[in-house]
Amino acid sequence: MIEAHGLTKRYGSKNAVDDVSFTVRPGLVTGFLGPNGAGKSTTMRLIVGLDRPTSGSVTVNGQAYAAHRAPLREVGALLDAKAVHTGRSAYNHLLAIGATHSIGRSRVDEVIALTGLESVARKRVGGFSLGMGQRLGIAVALLGDPATLILDEPVNGLDPEGVIWVRQLARHLAAEGRTIFLSSHLMNEMAQTADHIIVLGRGRVIADAPVQAILAQATGTAVTVRSPDAARLAELLTASDPLSTVTVDPADPHLLIVAGLASPRIGELAAGAGVVLHELAPTAASLEDAYLALTQNEVEYVAGGEATR
Amino acid sequence: MSTAPLQRVTMSGVSFGGIIRSEWIKLRSLRSTVWCYAIIVVLTLGVGALIAFAMASGATGGAGITGDAATTMAVQTATFPISMTQLVAAVLGALVITGEYGTGMIRSTLTAVPKRLPALVGKALVFALTTFLVSAVAIAVTGAMTLAMLSGAGIGVEITAGYLLALVGGAGYLALVGLLSFAIGAIIRSSAGGIAASLGLILVVPNVLPLLAFLTKADWIGEAAKYLPSNAGAQMYALAGSGAVDMFTGATVLEPAIGLLVLVGWVVALLALAAVLLKRRDA
Repeated sequence: MIEAHGLTKRYGSKNAVDDVSFTVRPGLVTGFLGPNGAGKSTTMRLIVGLDRPTSGSVTVNGQAYAAHRAPLREVGALLDAKAVHTGRSAYNHLLAIGATHSIGRSRVDEVIALTGLESVARKRVGGFSLGMGQRLGIAVALLGDPATLILDEPVNGLDPEGVIWVRQLARHLAAEGRTIFLSSHLMNEMAQTADHIIVLGRGRVIADAPVQAILAQATGTAVTVRSPDAARLAELLTASDPLSTVTVDPADPHLLIVAGLASPRIGELAAGAGVVLHELAPTAASLEDAYLALTQNEVEYVAGGEATR
Repeated sequence: MSTAPLQRVTMSGVSFGGIIRSEWIKLRSLRSTVWCYAIIVVLTLGVGALIAFAMASGATGGAGITGDAATTMAVQTATFPISMTQLVAAVLGALVITGEYGTGMIRSTLTAVPKRLPALVGKALVFALTTFLVSAVAIAVTGAMTLAMLSGAGIGVEITAGYLLALVGGAGYLALVGLLSFAIGAIIRSSAGGIAASLGLILVVPNVLPLLAFLTKADWIGEAAKYLPSNAGAQMYALAGSGAVDMFTGATVLEPAIGLLVLVGWVVALLALAAVLLKRRDA
C-alpha cells in the first residue's frame, strides 16, 4: 500500500511533481502512466526517499519508507537499471545489497535464477545489455521478498519473451496480495497488465481509475472522415458542436479525425451542406487513444501536427 | 525464467553489522580497490628497499652509526615510501565514494539504507580499517627488510618503542589521508573533482604556502602550513622527539601526538560536512 498526500517536488522554478495524491492498493497491479517528463520517475524516487519532497508526504505500508526497520522487505524498487557499479559482478552487487538486511547467498541465488541471470551473474555489469541490466534491477527489487514492488519502466529493453515474463510476474505477485506499481509511457503495455491506472501529466494526476473505466470514457469518440473538401467540412463540424474536436491529419489534408461527434451525425451534416465524403469510419477506441486524449494537453513537448478547434 | 512462487526469505532489519558486511563486499569486489592496494604494497616494499640500499651503500666503510642517529635513519628508510603511497590512498579514498555517484550505485545503496548516515559511516570504517591493515603489513615487512639491509652495512639500529610507533603511525597516516579524501569525495560527488581537490590539499597547498610565506614575509603563513593535513600528519611517522625541526626546510614541526590530533580534526570536520550534505541532498 502506497499513499501519497499532496506530494510536491520543485526543481528550480519548475514543479516536477505538483500536489499529487493517490493510493496504490495491495492485490492489484497499478499502472503509472504519463508522457516522458510527466513526473513518474520523480514520484517513485520520492516514495523511497531518494528525493526529499518540497511539500506533502508519502507513506509505504503506513510509514515513511526510511522509517521501516527492514526497508527492502517493505518495498522492492527498480527505479533505474543503471544504479549499479559497472565494475562489479551482478552476483556481488546482489550480495552487497542483501548484506545490509542480512539476506544471504541462498536468496541471491534464488533471485538470479528467478530473473534468468545464471549465465552472466559472475560477469561485470558494465558489459551487460539493456535487457540484462533490467533483469538485474528486477532481481534487486525482488531480493527482500517485498510486500510492495515499484518498477519504473520495467519492460524497457527487454525482448518480447522478457516483456511477457514481467507481465506474468507482476500479475502473479499481485495475486499473492502484494502491491504492484508499474510505470510506463506505453498505454498498450498497461492495458495488458494493469487493473488500475493513474495517469500523470505535467506533474499532476489527470486520471485515477480502473482500466475499464478509462477505456469506457473514451469509447466511440473518434471517427475518421475523408473528404476532398475537408477544410469546409472541418469548419462545419466545429460550428455544429463546440465540444467536438476536429484534427487534420498532418500527412494528408483530406483526412480528418473527429472526436465528440458520432458518425451518423457527421454524415448528416455533410449531406446537408453538400460536402462529398470518401470515407466515414468510426475507429474502435483503444486504451492508447484514451491515453492520448487524456494527455494531449499535458505533454511537455508536442511534435508537429496542427489542430483546429 | 519462471514465475515460481516466492519463498519467505530469512532476513533481519538493517543492522550496522550488515552494513559493514555490505561495504566489505563492495570494497573487495572492485578491481580498482585491488589495484590500489597492490600498488601501495609494491611501492612501500620497492621504494623502501631502494632507499635502504642507497643508505647502506652510503654508509659502507663509515660504519659505527648507532643510537638515535641509526634509529632515525631506520625510521626514515621505512617511511619514505609514504610520500608516494599517500597519493594512492587518497585516490582510492575518493574513488570508494565517487565511484558510487559516477555509476549510480549510490541510489541502490541509499535505497537499502534509507537513513543514509549508517551507510556513510560503514563505508568510511571499512575503507579506513582495510587501508590501515594493508599499509601496516606493507610497512612492517619493509621495516624488517630495511633493518636487515642497514645492519648488513654495519648500521646498528636498536628497535625502540619510538621506532615501532613511527611505523604504526605511518599506517595510521595513510588510513587518515584516505579518509580525508573520502570525505572530500563525498562532498564533491565526482571522481575527477574529488581526486583533484584531495591531491590539491595534500600535495599542492603544502608546497605553495612556504613560497607565499617567503614572498610576503608573513610568518603566520609558514606557521599555518604546519597545520595542513599532510604536514601535521607527517609527524605521525616521524621519530618522536627527533624533530621539532623539519629535516629539509628547517622549520619547526608539531609533535607526533599533536600532528595526529590535527589530522583527525581535519577528517572529522570534513566527514561531518559530508554527513550533513548526504542527509540534505537528493541522491
